[in-house]
Amino acid sequence: MPFAYQLPSDVSPATVANTSSLLRIIALALISGAAIASRLFAVINFESIIHEFDPWFNYRATKVIAEKGFYEFWNWFDPTAWYPLGRVVGGTIYPGLMATSGVIYSLLHAINLPVDIRNICVLLAPGFSALTAWSTYMFTKELKDESAGLLAAVFIGIVPGYISRSVAGSYDNEAIAIFLLMFTFFCWIKALKIGSAFYGSLAALFYFYMVAAWGGYAFITNMIPLHAFALILMGRFSSRLYVAYSSWYAIGTLSSMQVPFVGFQPVRTSEHMAALGVFGLLQIIAFAELVRTHVSSKQFQSLLYASVVGMGITGALAIIGLTYKGWIAPWTGRFYSLWDTGYAKKYIPIIASVSEHQPTAWPSFFMDLQLLIFLFPAGVIMCFRQLRDEHVFVIIYAVVASYFAGVMVRLMLTLTPVVCVTAAVAFSSLLDTYIDPAEPDVLEDDSNTGQDAPTSGTSTAVSTSSPAPSLKKAKKAAAAAPPAGPLDGLVSTVTAAVSSSKKAGKPRGVFGLDTRIAVLINALGMLFFFVMHCTYVTSTAYSSPSVVLASTNPDGSQHIIDDFREAYYWLRQNTPETAVVMSWWDYGYQIAGMADRPTLVDNNTWNNTHIATVGKAMSSSEEVAYPILRKHDVDYVLIIFGGLLGYSGDDINKFLWMVRIAQGVWPDEIQEPNYFTPKGEYRVDEAASSTMKNSLMYKMSYYRFAELFGGNQAVDRVRGQQMPKVGPTLDYLDEAFTSENWIVRIYQVKKDDPLGRDLKTANAFAQGKKRKRSKPQVRRKAVS
Amino acid sequence: MVLRWRCSPLLLLSLLLQSFVSADHSFENTAVVRTVEVAGSLVQVTTTFAVKALEGDASEYTIALGEREHERTSWLEAKIKGQAAILPLFEGGYDPEIGVHFYTVALPHAMKINETANLVVETVETHATYPWPEQASQKDPQSLKYETDLFVVSPYKTLVERIKFRTPTPNIHSYTNPPGLDDFTVEIPVTKSGATITYGPFNNIPITSAKEFLDAKQEHVAVHYAYDSPLVEVMKLKRSAEISHWGANLNIEDTFHLRNAGPALKGHFSRLEHQSTMFYGRPPPHVLPSLTVQLPAGIHSPYYYDLIGNVSTSHLRTSPSQGKNGRSQPSLLELRPRYPLMGGWNYTFTLGWDSPLADYSSYEKATGKYIVGIPLMTMIPGAVVDEAEINIILPEAATDVDYYPPFVPTESGITTHVTYLDTVGRPAIVLRYGRLTHKHAGVIYVTYKVPVTAHLKKPLAVATAFMGLFALGFLAKRLDISIQKK
Amino acid sequence: MLLPLLALFALPLCLAASTEANHAKLVQLAAANDGVIRLDQSTYRLLTSPRRNWSASVQFTAMDKRRRCTPCREFGPSFNAVAKAWSKVSSAERDSHFFATLDFDDAMPVFQEMNLQSAPVVQVYTATEGPRQSASGRTAISLDFSQGFEAAPLAEQLSHYTPVPIPYKPPFDWSRAATFVFMALAFVAALRFMAPILRSRWTWAVIVVLTSLVMTSGYMFVRIRGMPHSGPNGQWIAPGYQNMFGQEVQVVSMIYGTLAGGFLMLTLIVPNNLSPQRQRMQVYLWAGVIFIMYSVLVSLFREKNRNYPFKLLF
Repeated sequence: MPFAYQLPSDVSPATVANTSSLLRIIALALISGAAIASRLFAVINFESIIHEFDPWFNYRATKVIAEKGFYEFWNWFDPTAWYPLGRVVGGTIYPGLMATSGVIYSLLHAINLPVDIRNICVLLAPGFSALTAWSTYMFTKELKDESAGLLAAVFIGIVPGYISRSVAGSYDNEAIAIFLLMFTFFCWIKALKIGSAFYGSLAALFYFYMVAAWGGYAFITNMIPLHAFALILMGRFSSRLYVAYSSWYAIGTLSSMQVPFVGFQPVRTSEHMAALGVFGLLQIIAFAELVRTHVSSKQFQSLLYASVVGMGITGALAIIGLTYKGWIAPWTGRFYSLWDTGYAKKYIPIIASVSEHQPTAWPSFFMDLQLLIFLFPAGVIMCFRQLRDEHVFVIIYAVVASYFAGVMVRLMLTLTPVVCVTAAVAFSSLLDTYIDPAEPDVLEDDSNTGQDAPTSGTSTAVSTSSPAPSLKKAKKAAAAAPPAGPLDGLVSTVTAAVSSSKKAGKPRGVFGLDTRIAVLINALGMLFFFVMHCTYVTSTAYSSPSVVLASTNPDGSQHIIDDFREAYYWLRQNTPETAVVMSWWDYGYQIAGMADRPTLVDNNTWNNTHIATVGKAMSSSEEVAYPILRKHDVDYVLIIFGGLLGYSGDDINKFLWMVRIAQGVWPDEIQEPNYFTPKGEYRVDEAASSTMKNSLMYKMSYYRFAELFGGNQAVDRVRGQQMPKVGPTLDYLDEAFTSENWIVRIYQVKKDDPLGRDLKTANAFAQGKKRKRSKPQVRRKAVS
Repeated sequence: MVLRWRCSPLLLLSLLLQSFVSADHSFENTAVVRTVEVAGSLVQVTTTFAVKALEGDASEYTIALGEREHERTSWLEAKIKGQAAILPLFEGGYDPEIGVHFYTVALPHAMKINETANLVVETVETHATYPWPEQASQKDPQSLKYETDLFVVSPYKTLVERIKFRTPTPNIHSYTNPPGLDDFTVEIPVTKSGATITYGPFNNIPITSAKEFLDAKQEHVAVHYAYDSPLVEVMKLKRSAEISHWGANLNIEDTFHLRNAGPALKGHFSRLEHQSTMFYGRPPPHVLPSLTVQLPAGIHSPYYYDLIGNVSTSHLRTSPSQGKNGRSQPSLLELRPRYPLMGGWNYTFTLGWDSPLADYSSYEKATGKYIVGIPLMTMIPGAVVDEAEINIILPEAATDVDYYPPFVPTESGITTHVTYLDTVGRPAIVLRYGRLTHKHAGVIYVTYKVPVTAHLKKPLAVATAFMGLFALGFLAKRLDISIQKK
Repeated sequence: MLLPLLALFALPLCLAASTEANHAKLVQLAAANDGVIRLDQSTYRLLTSPRRNWSASVQFTAMDKRRRCTPCREFGPSFNAVAKAWSKVSSAERDSHFFATLDFDDAMPVFQEMNLQSAPVVQVYTATEGPRQSASGRTAISLDFSQGFEAAPLAEQLSHYTPVPIPYKPPFDWSRAATFVFMALAFVAALRFMAPILRSRWTWAVIVVLTSLVMTSGYMFVRIRGMPHSGPNGQWIAPGYQNMFGQEVQVVSMIYGTLAGGFLMLTLIVPNNLSPQRQRMQVYLWAGVIFIMYSVLVSLFREKNRNYPFKLLF
């Protein structure tokens, strides 16, 4: 029996097992370290700060928990949001995230560790990413073995597709959701494997946590039933399936209904009907099976089948009927827009306007997953080779998730775990094959298959992979088995596989050391490249807290552009507590979080009309907008303007969405075409349409902008267009504050004129008086 | 320790005890010269009394403060000219009908008849000036007004008296020229030369702390002058100093509530104009774009943040420390608020730093006590601190805590502060003050003992906690909780 | 002496009368050709007369072949469909809103004075007097076709201006239903023959792998954004990171497929080959293939994302 290279043969199996488990623990610890460390770029480059928009609300809510306790939070009515409507926060959010960090906070304070709640929020996502790596390891271990598990853990730990949503500071639901997703799936598979009600209820428990944490729980709610259904179709109904599913569904659904925001949806909406239906189907089939065990007559069985099918169909019909009757709500727009991809753009512009709801082009797939993306299909094939129940699950997951990820950029997040898992399976089986020192003999010999079991065992132990030789053998055998083998040849259990391998015991293996080295070097090189890639992408693309912008000075040092906080802090310090701030909804949460002032609309876009009102005010002329502002007690209007700095995410670029949303509600007052030039271009310079020039947004953005350039030609650096010499004038608003780089501009809404004049005339009067004094001033500007 | 005089609480006290100081005749002032240095929120008044004893062993000289002066004054000390020693000073009571507060200075030695001495009384007045006009647009200059009673109030006769007002710049808009001065002088009562306005010399002034004089003769003067640096007020200062023996570190953290007390901004803030004035290098005097703060020498890892996170615009020039007694020049911190502080705008921020404990503390072998000197406050030049709270947190389980503030606080006490895995918590000294000026920048001395066991508390606690965890883990691993045994 | 006074009284009356007459005329015009008035210049003036208590939606189009206006011919039917739906509502409402079409060849001057460069255009003329006078005071509103030329969105848009919403229902597509049913039946019939294929896992494997390959190479992007198969002047790589052509889907999925295949070969097939030389050759072959394809992929990615720092072979 030849070997490519010699292994220490005098090692006792016990030592091997212990060493490998020790190595495994160390590896997992290192992986967690890497996962956390690679998410700290943002903190190191900038500071420990909450990122972007939604996190600011979560942070604010968490502060409420930390300061006032959970019950206060539970019935927290926030009068400052959606002024004047207010918002019942407790009932309109998924509290899981805040509760989690609230618990951590109180734990730390219980042992007198006065950690700032902000730091907990900032570091929550990295912390949970370590847990995600661990749960992925567990999941993959169920699929293949520990070595694959470790690989999967590494992948999920550093893959950009997941880091993008879990860098330090992006304190959003996804931060903990992915861990919950993977762990729920792990529990489900485990429960299914050993048919244990314990793991079933554990799955239910984590499902509940998931429901409390993220709206994406609907993914689990439909994945597990789909899996169960597929198994039934494949004729793999078993008591294990019955136990696992029933325990999961019963407990999971009941507990999920305890979340106020979910309430009775699990029995009232179409998203959840699949789960209910499969539950019913399982009961019927179980009953049928039970009867069959007792009755033997052939006809009766066929009749029974007929009845089962009939019941199934009637059940489905019943659900459909209920949906038509309206007892069951049809799919919500967000969910529906996944199937009818044109739906959102037509009917829910607010959803369509969000950039992360756009479809995904292939470069972003590669950017986020790099080599995993093509290991993914290979891994799926591997799953097909030994088609155990859990492999079926992974396969379904693979198809569904890859479709969703194609439709919406943000759903890349749900694809990432399965890609990591399958890629790890593929990669580790490659490594297994080429690290295994056993060489086959050129001539046929049945005896060796039995012998090289232990050696392969030790070899894997050395390569820190599975010490379970029999399992490996089974896989090899499975590989050897002809593809079109008997359907249930290798499916059910390991023993079966072993036996089948004995049947088709064809020796296989790799000759020579050079081949091994060649392949392994190639593979390791790819892994190394993957690490480089991940580091690069994470540090450049995914680690900037859009609140603080970074630029580089001429001397290469980093220069922080902090306009947002400057303006927000000004609002906080120098305006009355009750001053109402109007801005486009993107900035609602930030204003509430940093400036601590009431806002008209914010990022939880529940009231389209209210948003449309703001859109209308922004996009119509001063005379029209002023009454709207006054009616809503608006004191300050805040806009984002990038023209001076070339900050492209500013309000003028979002303006068309404001117009569209407003048009949806007032079609005969706001029309999108009027904001384009006759040639149909979107311009802000001389050629801009008059509607555009008179719109409040335009005026506020470019008010006194041209003067900044002295005599020279004013240029909008975002649009790259030359602004007219004479900028717009404002009659109904006053410039209240403008940040250092003009990114944030705040305007105060004038109160009615004390003399009861129309503000325009009043202003004209004042101008007339002032003109003499302001003349020389102007001339001096012209000179410079 | 010299008793230094502070305003608000003792005012009440003095109101209670109506110990009446009638004008006695043990002294007369041969000459009185008062110099008022008007400036921003702090006005320094120096009065020199050339005193002549009319009776034998007169050892207590009485000085008087008018109602308004008394309210403004946040610092008062008396010296003999040319001597460093500060003379003891006692409440002399309050006369409600003339509204004069009396204080008696204990002279270093009882004076013989006709012996003379030069007594120098220094007071610092806060909130004595106010911006006039009260509003200014971004390009306008800034002018302040200072109003006071002219004649020095004194229970003794005065032969010659002269009052000077010194302004920071010669640019004085106006000053009052009261008519009724001619009964005390023959030549021109008021003269202005450069940045100085001189009233007097006036001769043969009767006892001014008498009702008839205060009603009839006391004059009220106002000076209106240009002041071209921003008028900064610290409305609230919260300092917490944390002493750590493990880290051999003294961490000091100040939370400021800053306010620009200059003329309120007229109209609205226009970034364009601000940028242009900055560009042309003449920023208006009432705008505070940045301020420079002196921090102790040898500090490291400073931080500067506010309610919404780190403020990236600040520069620190540290200077190496010279140990406890070496005279080293302070580190300079130049910090810019997030936005330029216009008149009437507020800004709150937190400023903190670490410094080696050795620079501030010493160990007394004999008593086994540690002595730590904590600077009372961080001085923002030219600013008055309206209310200050100082917390000094000592190491865990420190005993026999004593503290010696440079002068009497309005409130003080010792609480416990629990943090960083503490078991019993740390003693924390809390002091409160009001209306602090640069004169008050003293050192609070704290002495305490730390037994060895206290040092070992924390590691022991942590160790036991971890032991417990491991034990639990051990049990959980060994325990078999499955229902049916295999 | 009385006459002018009389005239003064009469004036509004006769004006009213005239509007009445116009309205009646329009009504019967509309009735004539089911719901859509085919305008010429004069009737256009009539319909859009400054004093009208009715509203109207007018389609400016150029149906004539010579004009080569494909969108017009595309849009015409759906406009007519909506008009037809409108003619169903009760006469009271129906006669207060008219549907009309104005062809370029019938009334060129109108096009010129409204300087319309492009067709089709739909203008809504709101009522200038009477109860349905438009609040905003805008008399002519032009619709935008941002939602395509279908009838449903058009009806929905127009419903904002009609007294009652247009009862438009998309016609039931019998042919599609029929084909669907047929397919279903065919499937059921073929089930017993196809059973072995359906039950072989490898069929499914192929399906699954193909789907995921296609999806992960950006098929949905092309589909939703309606990207062309390849750009003008035959370039097939769309510039820009968030952009791609149809052809890229094929190329990229092909590359992915090859790489995955290479891995599978190395893992599954090669070890089964029991002659050392051939096996060694295959190993090197596939390792090489993987490496080369991978570097091709990376260089392709560099094409899309210019400032990507890494590269392998090319």
